Amino acid sequence: MKAREMNKKQNKGQVILIAVLAMALILLSTQIYVFEVQMSTINLNSNPLNDYLFAIKLGSRNVVIGSIANVSGGGSHTVFVANLDKWVALVDKQNQFGRSTLNYTMEETAPYMSGIWLFWGTEGFGVTSASAHFTFNLSDRGVDADLSYFINITTTLMVEGTYRTMGADEKEVNVTFNLLNEGKSALADQFTLYYQVLGSWLVPNASNNYAVSDYGNGTYRASFRASISSPNVEVSVRIRDQREVLVQANATCSQV
Amino acid sequence: MGTFILKMISNNKGQIRTIEAFLAISVMFSVLVLTAPMSSTPDFEKQGTLKKLGTNVLIELDNNGTLGRLIEGGNWTILKQSMDLLLPTGVFYNLTVYDENLQRVNTQEVSNTNQQGLEAVVIQYLCVTQSSDTRFYTIQLQLAWPQ
Repeated sequence: MKAREMNKKQNKGQVILIAVLAMALILLSTQIYVFEVQMSTINLNSNPLNDYLFAIKLGSRNVVIGSIANVSGGGSHTVFVANLDKWVALVDKQNQFGRSTLNYTMEETAPYMSGIWLFWGTEGFGVTSASAHFTFNLSDRGVDADLSYFINITTTLMVEGTYRTMGADEKEVNVTFNLLNEGKSALADQFTLYYQVLGSWLVPNASNNYAVSDYGNGTYRASFRASISSPNVEVSVRIRDQREVLVQANATCSQV
Repeated sequence: MGTFILKMISNNKGQIRTIEAFLAISVMFSVLVLTAPMSSTPDFEKQGTLKKLGTNVLIELDNNGTLGRLIEGGNWTILKQSMDLLLPTGVFYNLTVYDENLQRVNTQEVSNTNQQGLEAVVIQYLCVTQSSDTRFYTIQLQLAWPQ
């Protein structure tokens, strides 16, 4: 009996050591658990990958805008391909989130040709448009993202005109035109109105009582007086939107 | 002889207890030392927030083509003012623009700090100008919060 009590007393130190070891294990596992939970919360809350994908889409859009601005200003249609190739090469070099691969195909469905559609009509309608399909792939350990998107940049111009005969060849002309970006009203950066006299296009000025009203919603109204002998009053509007995309449309004014 | 050994053992008992206590303390201490770096790992949440903030600012500027126009026109002062305006007060930044050949483009510092050694996050952003003369730039934005 006495020996057992002695043994108990002698083992007391070992029990303390075991208890300490157990406490240490609990502390360690708690810390590891807290760390893991923190890491998973971070992954859920802030995902910079989404921003990266959005930035790639935005860059693609800017490439299309820049290219169509160039082509509409008289540049070669090959500019579009050249710019897209440069953009693809630049994106493919990015390795922030893994291996990036960007591919594109230009819109070939009519009326598009090599991704471009330019229609500067004579019946009050003009359109300048560029379009391309993109596929983006991002692959890395634990990340495999595929993104397909379509970019279409379209600047549309609609022109309507009326005229009143003021006496002999003198005519008062009113021209209303609307500018649209992707079907929504857009503001012009610059525009020029022309009228035709004996086959030549002239620009009205102060001597023609030229006045323009800007309605602030992409609608503009211009009026002027001019001596036009022809019974058909032909006008033309050449307009550049705020993205530098140029569009033009001609219209025959109707008499009121 | 037997009583002598027993006496010796009971005399050393105190020392053994002391050794055991030392052992226990050293185990606890080593666990604390081991787990301390874990709790002081870089603040990923802070870094994630900074990255998101920086990317959003650049996207905001790039959305209507302003970023490309400012770079193309070399308007570094206006770019700096825009960054000052869009980033929260107290966030340090340093922005560098590189062209397609990875040559530095900005002739002036676009930065609100000269502090070295801050724990910073780096954002790499690709910018394309909307102009008819399309240009491609790589922007490197470093962001840090004061420690």
